[in-house]
Amino acid sequence: MSFFLDIYRYDSATDEVPHRDRVECDLPTTMTVLDALENVKAEKDGSISFRRSCRAAICGSCSMNINGTTGLACKTPVDSVLRSDNTVAVDPMPNFQPMKDLVVHMDPFWDKYSRLKPYLQPVDNDSDHATERRVSPEDMHKLVAVANCVMCATCYALCPVVSVDPAFAGPAAIAYAYRFIEDVRDSKRKERAAQISDDYLWLCAHCYACSYCPKHVDPQDDIIAVKRATIEEGLTNHPGPRHALVIAKTIKQTGMLHETEVIQGTVGRFNIKGLIKVAPLGIRIALAGKMPPVFLKPVPKVNEIKLIFDTLEAPVLA
Amino acid sequence: MTAVIEAPQIKRQSKSAQMRKYGFFPGCVAKESCKELFNSTMLLAEKLGIELVELTAAACCGASVLNDTNRDVARVLNARTYAQAEALGLDDVITICSTCTGHMRAANKELLESEAHMGQANAILGKFGAKYNGGVMVRHLLWLLIDDIGLDNLKKMVVNPLNGLKVAPFYGCHIIRPESVNGWESSRNPHSLEDIIEALGGEAIDYAGKTRCCGFHVQLEKEGIAPAMVGQNMRMAKDKGAEAVLTPCPLCHLALDGYQADSAARWGRTDLPTFHLPQLVGLALGIDPSLLGLNKHIVSPGLVLQAHDLAPAHVA
Repeated sequence: MSFFLDIYRYDSATDEVPHRDRVECDLPTTMTVLDALENVKAEKDGSISFRRSCRAAICGSCSMNINGTTGLACKTPVDSVLRSDNTVAVDPMPNFQPMKDLVVHMDPFWDKYSRLKPYLQPVDNDSDHATERRVSPEDMHKLVAVANCVMCATCYALCPVVSVDPAFAGPAAIAYAYRFIEDVRDSKRKERAAQISDDYLWLCAHCYACSYCPKHVDPQDDIIAVKRATIEEGLTNHPGPRHALVIAKTIKQTGMLHETEVIQGTVGRFNIKGLIKVAPLGIRIALAGKMPPVFLKPVPKVNEIKLIFDTLEAPVLA
Repeated sequence: MTAVIEAPQIKRQSKSAQMRKYGFFPGCVAKESCKELFNSTMLLAEKLGIELVELTAAACCGASVLNDTNRDVARVLNARTYAQAEALGLDDVITICSTCTGHMRAANKELLESEAHMGQANAILGKFGAKYNGGVMVRHLLWLLIDDIGLDNLKKMVVNPLNGLKVAPFYGCHIIRPESVNGWESSRNPHSLEDIIEALGGEAIDYAGKTRCCGFHVQLEKEGIAPAMVGQNMRMAKDKGAEAVLTPCPLCHLALDGYQADSAARWGRTDLPTFHLPQLVGLALGIDPSLLGLNKHIVSPGLVLQAHDLAPAHVA
């Protein structure tokens, strides 16, 4: 059985615009997309460029867009993605500048990673290395998933926030921040939390696009844990933590997320400039006749809700 | 060391489905800025002959944000909600918000999969005489329509077909992702909204933005982010010929309806009216359009509805 590869072709050094090559592959559809590309490169067109090395989802090189969604070509069987027109379209990862064919400029991704100082900065200053730094199995367990990250940038390519604001650190970098923030041997928890906060940690839109991680790192849980760490470290003077804490406050008080109070609490009640910025949407909502209530009656048995917050010592906006 | 993601058990013949009586968790937004969603849901339930028993003492699901402050509090609050449904003899809790769906299902999954979590929750619930026995399933109204009512039945109930109205489905992240929590349908290629649109006599528009994020959760974090995400997605829908959008999530509704005015400068005018799921279903099933809150939209659906002979001028 044969199928077609529809390949994005572009050389930033010579081409004004990209074009596509449609190549027939007389190959079994049980092979991976990477094997199909390798075959085309070896047998039909040696000029096609793509990154690859291990062919076993360990090196993280061959991430690309496959029929509109990003993943590792070496881990994607052709028959799992084959379109009804018997074609697999391969494109460079979105959210990156194409360099040549399926190869992209990875610099923004690595820059965000480097900013984290991605190496252990230990608690003591034990220059003669006389003592072991021991980690309990429970503490190590927290780092196992993120240790599987192969930095393939699939999550970064899929992130809708990166697509509209390249300043956002992106899922992989935040997962790596988590890896050091939660490492009991590291001494820079607060500095790391502050750094990632400045790199727009709180811009994560909770969309779970990074749940398509081919290595099941699932950065969204790490992102949530890093947010908790920033609150624990007292780094709450940002709209993000204020937003989370004022929501907690209104739920504790009324049982409900009180929309009008949440907006004021996030922007800051006395932040006139900030409030003016959010005003146009408020006015549009009011004109449509759907202004949320300014006062909210607590739900029945709200004391049970307060008890849950107090028992768990859950923080709320002061 | 790679984890294997197992699709959770979803489709079952629940006691609630047999009784046609469900626990109902409307969520905060349907009680505050999107009351038209709450009202049209109740009207639709009446039309479908099902009873939605509102869990009035329930707390907010945590809105995907409470986990950022404390890892346990949302789970225990949701356990309290499930205990309330169980006390009423109901085993389904129906939601009308994608974010409620995802986060309540995630909390339930943690409770059901961990004795420690269930024990912690029940230790606190016990202080006020409540207990969660683990018998509740959280389902969205969208899933109820397809699994319990059925598309064929829905088709038979249509009295006011959408006359080829071109509708772009917009799922909202938390009803499809992560698949380990939701898993009711493919998160990469969902088609439940398309199936509903077509059952109602509309034409479903296929576009890449349908499973992308609306930006609602970061609208206050940094100026311009949510409008950019809205603009990107609505541009794609408009370019594929959409006349309107259908969403099962009031947060998506607020972002899509509210920010198209702001995104116009960068993405061009799109002006797509955004319907709540029960509004469009209700309209096709013959509910009086003046009761569906179609006039509570920022982008008025009036012209589109009139063009397809679906509602008179004064209702939207």
